[in-house]
Amino acid sequence: MKLTRTKAFKTFAGPAWTNNPINMQMLGICSALAVTIQLNTALVMTLAMTFVITMASLIISLMRNLIPDNIRIIVELAVIAALVVLTDEFLRAYYYEMSRMLSIFVGLIITNCIIMGRTEGFALGNPPHLAVMDGLGNGVGYGSVLLSVAFLRELFGSGSVFGYTVIPQSFYNVGYEDMGFMLLAPAAFIIIGLMAWLQKYLAGVDDDEA
Amino acid sequence: MSDMTKSIVFAVAMCVVLGLLLTGAATALQPLQEKNVENDRRKNILLAVDLVSRDQRYTHEEIAALYEEKIELFGATQTGEIVQEVRPDEEPVLPIYLYIENDTINAYIVPIDTQGVWGEISGYLAIDADGSTVRGFTITRHSETPGLGGEIERQWFQENFEGKRIVDRQGTFVSVRVARGDVERQVPEEDRPHYVDGISGATLTGRKLTEGLEQILWRYEPVSIKFRDNRIDLPAERG
Repeated sequence: MKLTRTKAFKTFAGPAWTNNPINMQMLGICSALAVTIQLNTALVMTLAMTFVITMASLIISLMRNLIPDNIRIIVELAVIAALVVLTDEFLRAYYYEMSRMLSIFVGLIITNCIIMGRTEGFALGNPPHLAVMDGLGNGVGYGSVLLSVAFLRELFGSGSVFGYTVIPQSFYNVGYEDMGFMLLAPAAFIIIGLMAWLQKYLAGVDDDEA
Repeated sequence: MSDMTKSIVFAVAMCVVLGLLLTGAATALQPLQEKNVENDRRKNILLAVDLVSRDQRYTHEEIAALYEEKIELFGATQTGEIVQEVRPDEEPVLPIYLYIENDTINAYIVPIDTQGVWGEISGYLAIDADGSTVRGFTITRHSETPGLGGEIERQWFQENFEGKRIVDRQGTFVSVRVARGDVERQVPEEDRPHYVDGISGATLTGRKLTEGLEQILWRYEPVSIKFRDNRIDLPAERG
């Protein structure tokens, strides 16, 4: 069987592209607005979020036959919260500056609706290997949007990529200016809107039929 | 086992496991985190007097070496004397950091701990040895709203303070104030040396910071006066 036909691959590729949590399902927008001014913060946020969603999916999936039905939401939340606190502690110990830049947004991963949605909607009813693929796929899908938005915002807002200036001085000399608007949250809204439009167009989704 | 008992047993077990895990992680990582906080504190003191640059990275060792060499902690009495900081059983003194270059004081640094809108704002304000010009300002900790009051941690806001004066032309104490918006538009020309640009959408944070700076600088005013009159002496037994 070809790799692209396996169920595991489909589970991964779905959320990463055709069912992208941000562009297609419009989830997790709040953090996508907040941490996309620079690529650095967006990258760390992507890694943190991918770690949390993959581990949470794995743990919930492993325990799916044990978790009592009536407290399952609390259990999911406790597992996610514990993973987020671990990530935050780790960042504060090893990447102090980064953790200061991300400030409260690492903590807010707990409330990221994508994670809660995937553990409740997928991991609880699927075997661990699929749950991990689903977590990774959502992490990649979320991260790719985050990084694209951050790339555009940093390039046009600050004239740099990953903190390195890429717009040559000669541009500024002839009158080019960084777009201050790109550094504000509404800019991220507009970029995400345009990206959602582009992706839905490419994937051939017609909202009227859905 | 009934559903109810099963739920309770599961919940208790989960709490114990997660509790142990988080306590373990927090305890194990605490020494590293405290080192980072201490390093950050020192770095901010050095930043306030321009000994390090915001655009460059430094190792913990570089920061520690520079700090040990140039910065010393003293106490300031109510009459403006500089004394050794630790003096038990005597009147309490205000902590004051001195940037000493070749045995002369280059600048002094005042720790800022004041109330913001949501929590404490901490940082350092460095003043030149003339007792009236701000050398630099840094913020180490705050809990203002990200994107609004949280902008006080931005470079432009902190660099805003450099060269501002805490006294007017007659030599009277006026502190440094955060303007509502751009200084050039909002403040009459003769007051501009005492105002820094404010953050749009963060009027309250600006007002709180203005009040806090005024109160704190007023407490340090006796020392500042001595600096202005060039009557400052280091304590005899140093080190």
